[in-house]
Amino acid sequence: MKLTHLAFAATLAGATALTAQSALADVKVGLLGGVSGPIAAMAPPMLDAAQLAFQQVNDQGGILGGQSIEAVVGDSACNPQNGVDSATKLVNVEQVIGLVGPHCSGAVLAVANSVSVPAGVTLLTPSGTSPEITGLQDNDTVMRTVPSDDYQGRALARALLERGTSKVAVAYLNNDYGTGLAESFKDEFEANGGAVAGYAAHEEGKASYRSNLAELSRGGADTLVIFDYGDGTGLTILRQALENGFFENFVGGDGMKSEAVINELGAENLTTFVASSPVGTASTSLDLFRDAFTNVGGDPDAIFVTTSYDAGFLMALAIEKAGGDKAGIATALREVSNGEGEPILPGEWEKAVGLIAEGTAIDYKGASGDLDFDENGDVPGAYALFEVSEDTFKSIGEIK
Amino acid sequence: MTFMDLINFYFVPGVVLGSIYALGAVGITLVFGILRFAHLAHGDLATFGAFAALAFVTALGVSVWVALPLAMVAAGAVAIGLDRYFYDYLRERPKILTVMASLGIALMLRAIVQVFWGVDTETYTRGIVRPESYWGLRIRDRELYTFVAMFAIVGVLWVFLQNTKWGKAMRAMSDNPDLALLSGVDNRKVTMLTWAIVGMLCAAAGFFLGLNTELKALMGWTMLLPMFAAAILGGVGRVEGAVIGGLIIGVVEEMSVLVIPSEYKAALAFAILLLILLVRPTGLLKGKVL
Repeated sequence: MKLTHLAFAATLAGATALTAQSALADVKVGLLGGVSGPIAAMAPPMLDAAQLAFQQVNDQGGILGGQSIEAVVGDSACNPQNGVDSATKLVNVEQVIGLVGPHCSGAVLAVANSVSVPAGVTLLTPSGTSPEITGLQDNDTVMRTVPSDDYQGRALARALLERGTSKVAVAYLNNDYGTGLAESFKDEFEANGGAVAGYAAHEEGKASYRSNLAELSRGGADTLVIFDYGDGTGLTILRQALENGFFENFVGGDGMKSEAVINELGAENLTTFVASSPVGTASTSLDLFRDAFTNVGGDPDAIFVTTSYDAGFLMALAIEKAGGDKAGIATALREVSNGEGEPILPGEWEKAVGLIAEGTAIDYKGASGDLDFDENGDVPGAYALFEVSEDTFKSIGEIK
Repeated sequence: MTFMDLINFYFVPGVVLGSIYALGAVGITLVFGILRFAHLAHGDLATFGAFAALAFVTALGVSVWVALPLAMVAAGAVAIGLDRYFYDYLRERPKILTVMASLGIALMLRAIVQVFWGVDTETYTRGIVRPESYWGLRIRDRELYTFVAMFAIVGVLWVFLQNTKWGKAMRAMSDNPDLALLSGVDNRKVTMLTWAIVGMLCAAAGFFLGLNTELKALMGWTMLLPMFAAAILGGVGRVEGAVIGGLIIGVVEEMSVLVIPSEYKAALAFAILLLILLVRPTGLLKGKVL
């Protein structure tokens, strides 16, 4: 009996020693994404892109003097409840030093308010685009590598007016993403002389939206603007609008620029569909990322992969800069990408580590843009309008 | 808005949606009536059925109408398996344990669907189908089939329950399981038969939902509340009540957009459920009170 006890104690001690060992060897970063839920189809490439950044760090000598950086993946399911659940686990159980993600705005807001800000953990989201995130009381610990939808909504409104569309109906998903985008779109569209002839929110997951569409079309607009996800409800709405001829032209936000729309509805039916989406402006950084991501089997044109990669790489740079101090990461994030210092391009980890060790200022030039954070932790963005051409989305020019 | 617009854009979608709710609600009402618990895995079993049909369509290259009966058989077999391996162990325990277990089953089924078929949105056939006009009435073929098939499936079930020996045994067990046992009804066999029928109805509901919209891993789960509302509205244990309840909920949901903001449409089934439980807990057709 005693022997068993002894053996048990020894095993426990051994296990503890092992855990302590691995805690020393690894720097854990939380990688929160909408693995299940409405953006489940978009999430895997985004996670892969962030993992690529960590892979490069580990391949080039590791972080904080040779430790390896490990991403602990959590599923935010694109909703506030699951986001908070998995963020709590990442922050309290896994003891991550920083969070990359979550992906969806609602989850970002909830995680920031109830997990990351109280715990003092820096949150860097690659795709939480709601304007609400700008105004968070976050002690400067919530930042993003993706521009706010406030820019996108306004740019899309101006672009539509330029294209000669002056009367639209707007259908938006009743969550932080849809509402934020719809509000800034409506504001700018009406301020510049356009008319919004129908404006209604909808819940996700219903089987029929024909009555919603009939209500919207009663205002007499022939263009429908959809702020929703193309893998989810947005697809159902677009399908039912097309089938019943409620509208002639369709416009989507970045969420609607999903391959699922083309795969399920057929390119031949989508000749009057355009969608706006953030784009990386052509740069050496973007080329470097494209090559690296293609080499690991990723699709560099998938949505939000550039911002995801940048978020991962920036987080690693900030951890190195802050010397592994959890509280210093937010400040370090600004320092490594404020437009001043020696430029660092995607993948140039060894060079960055050397410069940080020397005490030289560095400035990360991301694949998605220069990423100079403003006082709210936001970055300015570039957008383009896409149309469907030969079974894929093709840019028809930038919008401003 | 003309009268035809009201019919085409509010009433017809409501009836189609209602037919899908009805198929699900009949299954729920059978489990409620005969086995006496709220089966929370119903929606996800429907999702499984819908994806099973997709598997037959893609793997065998058969038409969707051949895939439907195959998927119904598959889902029926899965339902029997679920009972055998999970619910049966809890038979003698308080029913709330089985209800909670069914929630776990729901999550398992959804995970299985996501593992096997992935998380992308799928459809049975690519492209879109524009509605045909019948004297101003705009209906798509598949909507007509949905409505007709619902009545055909429920009709067969109705005849089975009224006229066959096993149907009568099921009704007897629904009325009083102890008395049925004393009269020589084999409760185990009736339970198995019930699950087979419930699984088939689930597959049909999921199939028609997928046919009219898209297949998603969460499609069934989001239908669960309206289906329960339909079953309770019609009267628990009443098959014809579930059909009436399903149609009412479908039509009311679609019509509601005329008077309330569209974001509240999803809450309507819940409102009806609360109202019926307050005002007439037996449902429209005097079902059981649970």
